Amino acid sequence: MSTILECNDLTKKFGSKEAVSAVNLKIERGQIVGLLGPNGSGKSTIIKLANELLTPTSGTILIGGKKPGVATKKIVSYLPEKTYLNDWMHVNQIIELFSDFYDDFKPEKAYDMLKSLNINPNDRLKTMSKGTKEKVQLILVMSREAELYLLDEPIGGVDPAARDYILNTILRNYNENSTVIISTHLISDIENILDYVVFINQGQVVLTSSVDDIRNEKGKSVDGLFREVFKC
Amino acid sequence: MLSKLIKYEIKATGRIFLPLFLALLMFAGITRFISPLGPEKFDTPAMISMAIYISIMVGMFVMTFIMMIQRFNKNLLTDEGYLMLTLPVKPWKHIVSKLLVSMLWIVGSGIAAIISIMIIALKKGDLTKIAVEFATFHQQVYEYLGTSMYLWSFEIILGILITLASGIMIVYASIAIGHLFSRHKMLASFGAFIALSSLSKILITLISLTPVFTYFSNIHISSNDFIGMQHVIQWAIACGIIFTGLLCAAYFAVTNFILSKRLNLE
Repeated sequence: MSTILECNDLTKKFGSKEAVSAVNLKIERGQIVGLLGPNGSGKSTIIKLANELLTPTSGTILIGGKKPGVATKKIVSYLPEKTYLNDWMHVNQIIELFSDFYDDFKPEKAYDMLKSLNINPNDRLKTMSKGTKEKVQLILVMSREAELYLLDEPIGGVDPAARDYILNTILRNYNENSTVIISTHLISDIENILDYVVFINQGQVVLTSSVDDIRNEKGKSVDGLFREVFKC
Repeated sequence: MLSKLIKYEIKATGRIFLPLFLALLMFAGITRFISPLGPEKFDTPAMISMAIYISIMVGMFVMTFIMMIQRFNKNLLTDEGYLMLTLPVKPWKHIVSKLLVSMLWIVGSGIAAIISIMIIALKKGDLTKIAVEFATFHQQVYEYLGTSMYLWSFEIILGILITLASGIMIVYASIAIGHLFSRHKMLASFGAFIALSSLSKILITLISLTPVFTYFSNIHISSNDFIGMQHVIQWAIACGIIFTGLLCAAYFAVTNFILSKRLNLE
């Protein structure tokens, strides 16, 4: 196993506030990782740093050994917490855009998933509900054969039925060489698919462990441990 | 990748501008058709169609301005930026694609406006008359200036394009600077625009005080000595182009730096 994501003393300040402080982290390839923490703990900030949407104040973040840039963007499939779809395109036009810019995008996969979620590819993005837009975005992101998937709150805004479909989609589309990092605070929903967890609080990593270790050694579920670590 | 970005930029803006151009030319045609006797014989329908034509014309130019701001701000610095700026493309290519397409539509609007005016105003045979006159004008200028006419035209066209580009880049740089503020981004952008344009004015004034430029400004151009002076004038224009180009590059550098190093999408 080699390292896909590596943070060395990664720090990001907004003004005087430290959103991420001196994080050291190594994520190996081939697993589904939960980046877990309460709201405002710095999960999204780390993911944005990995996507070059933010620049570190100090320290480094490396993806496959490289600093975020064009080369890393080619191998990272990113689902932001925001809906980034513009209001004038149709679904098939945005699929065309993804095929144009990402060599690893598989349009047939996207059309397949759209069909099973009953989304018409000729629909205009503008007319869709927020939940449908989130589904479209997830389909776009999971239709890439990327080395690293960074999913920021992928199940936050959708109903439980769609939630199951989304988690299955993630499981189905990910292979041994790729890595999925899911940030969320809805732990019980995704607990079953996780191999590894990173607990993060106030910009610092407080615990990293494989899920098996948590269950075997501590005799707890990830959700139970989370509640214990982040007890208010 | 730049060509793909330009393709999508044209798609995103063309859906607004092409119908506008079409509407402009159509109403120019309608105005022409229902008032064939010329402006002095205007009746009500002609007035209405003329009014619509003029509003489309005004709307078209306002739209080029709005689109220039909107496409840069909305597509890169709001939620849409999450998609655009995570594409495997360097930030400067985003700026160049938006700049070029914005220039394209401004020039396009100008051309559409000229054509529409010709549709309304030209009488039968005018076009050939204009063509003939243009040819003689071309001939005269060529006799007067010789081959340097092409250099002149090149300089003038380059000058117009560079001025246009720097006009757009100052707006982009202002929006980017406004983005650095956590609140009142629009107000900050407006402030940045005023600051940047004053700064550029001060720079121009300072440079025009340097010996080279005082030399230029002391030359009196008289019409009969135009040929003799043309090298000096050409140099002055060239310096102007270079200076505007440098300003443009500076705005570009500011914008690119903010987009690549100081980005902070909401």
